Amino acid sequence: MLEKGKLIEIVGQENFTDQLEELVPYSYDASMNVHRPDAVVWPESTEQVVEIIKFANEHKIPVVPRGAGTSLSGGVIPIKGGIIIDLARMNRILEISIENRYARVQAGVVCDDLNRALAKRGFVFPPDPASSTVATIGGNVATNAGGIKGAKYGTTRDYVLGLQVVLPTGEVMHTGSYTMKCVSGYDLAKLFIGAEGTLGVITEVTLKINPLPRHAMTAVATFAKLEDAGKAIFQTMTSGVLPSVMEILDKVTLKSIKENTDIDLPDAEAMILTETDGFTWEEVEAQMEVVLGVLKENNPISIKTAKDEKDRLNLWKARKSSYATLARASNSFVLDDVTVPISKIPDLLVGIQEIAQRHGLVVATYGHAGDGNLHPQILYDEYDPEQVERMEKVEEELFKLAISLNGTLTGEHGIGLSKANYMTLEHDPVEMALMRQIKKTLDPNNIMNPGKRALDG
Amino acid sequence: MSNQLKLDEKRRKAITQCSRCGFCRAVCPIFDLTKRPITNARGKMILLKEVMEGKLPVTEGVAQALLRCTTCMNCTVNCPSGVDPQEIFKAARKDLVGMGFDNLFKKMGEVIEKYGNIYGEEERHDWGHKKSRAPYVLFVGCVGTFREEESVEETIRLLDLSKVDFTMIDEVCCSGVMEDVGYSIKGELAQRNVQALQKTGAKTLITTCPYCYRVFKEHPSYKDLGMEIKHITQFLKDFDFGVKTNKKVTYHDPCDLGRHAGIYDEPREIIRKIAPNFVEPRRTRENAMCCGSGGGLRGSFPEDSIEISRSRLSQIIEETGAEILLTECPSCLHNFQNAKLRKQKIEIYNITEFIAKLIQEQQKKEAA
Ligand SMILES: Cc1cc2nc3c(=O)[nH]c(=O)nc-3n(C[C@H](O)[C@H](O)[C@H](O)COP(=O)(O)OP(=O)(O)OC[C@H]3O[C@@H](n4cnc5c(N)ncnc54)[C@H](O)[C@@H]3O)c2cc1C
Ligand code: SF4
Ligand code: SF4
Repeated sequence: MLEKGKLIEIVGQENFTDQLEELVPYSYDASMNVHRPDAVVWPESTEQVVEIIKFANEHKIPVVPRGAGTSLSGGVIPIKGGIIIDLARMNRILEISIENRYARVQAGVVCDDLNRALAKRGFVFPPDPASSTVATIGGNVATNAGGIKGAKYGTTRDYVLGLQVVLPTGEVMHTGSYTMKCVSGYDLAKLFIGAEGTLGVITEVTLKINPLPRHAMTAVATFAKLEDAGKAIFQTMTSGVLPSVMEILDKVTLKSIKENTDIDLPDAEAMILTETDGFTWEEVEAQMEVVLGVLKENNPISIKTAKDEKDRLNLWKARKSSYATLARASNSFVLDDVTVPISKIPDLLVGIQEIAQRHGLVVATYGHAGDGNLHPQILYDEYDPEQVERMEKVEEELFKLAISLNGTLTGEHGIGLSKANYMTLEHDPVEMALMRQIKKTLDPNNIMNPGKRALDG
Repeated sequence: MSNQLKLDEKRRKAITQCSRCGFCRAVCPIFDLTKRPITNARGKMILLKEVMEGKLPVTEGVAQALLRCTTCMNCTVNCPSGVDPQEIFKAARKDLVGMGFDNLFKKMGEVIEKYGNIYGEEERHDWGHKKSRAPYVLFVGCVGTFREEESVEETIRLLDLSKVDFTMIDEVCCSGVMEDVGYSIKGELAQRNVQALQKTGAKTLITTCPYCYRVFKEHPSYKDLGMEIKHITQFLKDFDFGVKTNKKVTYHDPCDLGRHAGIYDEPREIIRKIAPNFVEPRRTRENAMCCGSGGGLRGSFPEDSIEISRSRLSQIIEETGAEILLTECPSCLHNFQNAKLRKQKIEIYNITEFIAKLIQEQQKKEAA
């Protein structure tokens, strides 16, 4: 039993709960994993986090930091029970320094809230996960979130200058700098980026910010052959122009959108959505000309372009509706994020369809072709045990396929619980041992988000 | 008495279809305030999922969680999975009452039956308007009648000034709200309204309250009314009032008028005619944040309700810098008036009330 008196003393009665009905929503995220925590706290300062961690470490109670709980990997599920540290109330933007090109925020700041504040000054934190209306910067850092603009602008990792972290022993560490460059000591900040809360609680983040591009131009092309679409992608990415968007939708996705919405789409094996951006129209158009040239050389069925906002939104419609359309097309789904070298995208797409057919499930794939990060969405029914089994087989084979193509299990959602069993597919025993060693060194009592990423062994 | 929620197949499917993406966190007025997941749509959908799967017993805590929702529908329009959580919560509230989890609206039901209004007021304000036969009949509703009398007076004046031949009735509560908080519409009261309305011989019923509008339009108890039902903004949209203000004006979409009834353009058409200096709030139309008064929240969680209103109001002020905030809903108006701090200089009116005031100002100027 949890000694709750101490926790209440630290955060106050109003920032603590162990009421069953309140714990239930904390037992879930956007994946299929479920487990109850024993209590939830909403700290309001780093000092409170320190006290909570010290208490948990002393009593060896598991602790799971939580942002918006949009994790797709079960990363935020308290699989061993314990205390959830919900950072929603640590949501202050502490400093925006335009002259030094950084923003310093508390971990619970919502990604879009930061970008709204930055946009007023003509700046942006570029990583744009589809969950940005709710996902927190702490969650973005802990999962190294990326988004549609990843191919040109990279992922969260490329913007983290410094972190404040409460370590599993309750010490506060400041790592990184406020400067654009820094090679002073080991790059410890990177260790915490994408660590999914297994090494400490991130309480403050200093992020590099970019000037906001002023213009963008969009194009959509459809292809009768997957190979042609695949060639168009890697030829564009090596054409000398880096498009800000390079998305692909496969035929299963297109079919579902066609059947379930009023969006007009040709019959095609694949659709590419691409965008160029910049500070002047000339720049944007010149880049787009190159991209269009490549698209045209690869036997497209159709190509459409758009400059003004209305037409652009129209071209974006199919891509923007893919998740929603598929989410409505089945009772349940799993959304994966395997990533392969860019030239292997056609092989991955063909392979996914073979797997889907073998197991008789619908798998629709779309995603960020520009950085090789695809989202196979596996549709099934969670209340049908036989379908659950088939879904698990599909996932297993999908992961094996990605690894066989020199890819990775996860480009942006993280390992969490869902992919923990596959860690050894990608990481050799030497690397696994070192990861476990690092975890043990930092977190000797294994209190930080235990049970994840196969690190407990 | 059953010991399980009765939720039909469609609603059960919707509960499964919630993908727990959490996108509704961004738009829920109560979550905005509390930061407690149990207060947003995802949290409540998860509770219902566990109840449905038999993992969680139905408790008073579940019943309270489901009551804590303004039914503003902001989660619905932002849900990628196509789920309408508030519709499910309303159905679940009824099931819960059926299971013995009565809530404070049981008392309100008795009050409505006894007094014919939600407040238990014995005397109703009468604006001295005619109550005979006319082509149009105006229905004011409880909040306007008992809490925003002065605003209604101006609305009536505007209709008079615009030479609309309308009548009024001795209204009783439309009682639609009972449906949303776990109980049922009062058939006998509905019948009284229907009879009184029909007696006027009116072809068109005009409501000032967007909620009454929906009840007349949607609820089977009023299906035999036999007249066209219009919200006052629909009715007045083509009128020319001949007045203008240079002040900076903004507009708050009432959830019942906007997301629930799809009426976004008519109020704006009217406002643009009288206020060239019109600015939209950042969160507007389909994405407008709730004023906090709907779904019974003002009764069941009055502190949440007023805090939500404060937050919406200060955001509007901050983002638009408007001098005048218009809406056309007695509940929104009332909640904003209550929430407004002394130091906030913004003036808040229903559109119709504001136009009547403009006309009178102009008349005074002309007379002087
Ligand atoms: C519909 C949908 C679309 C998505 N699209 C994208 C996308 O385009 N790109 C992408 O990268 N991801 C995407 N995601 C996944 C998810 O939104 C991201 O991983 C996001 O960064 C998680 O943020 P969060 O605040 O919700 O974190 P949570 O889900 O709360 O937590 C995620 C992980 O981070 C840890 N964590 C959270 N906060 C802290 C902290 N302060 N300190 C230490 N650890 C912490 C948690 O313990 C957990 O392991 C999507 C999810 C959904 C549901
Ligand atoms: S937005 Fe819809 S699908 Fe997502 S959590 Fe909320 S109710 Fe569920
Ligand atoms: S209807 Fe409004 S108050 Fe209710 S859960 Fe949805 S967003 Fe929140």
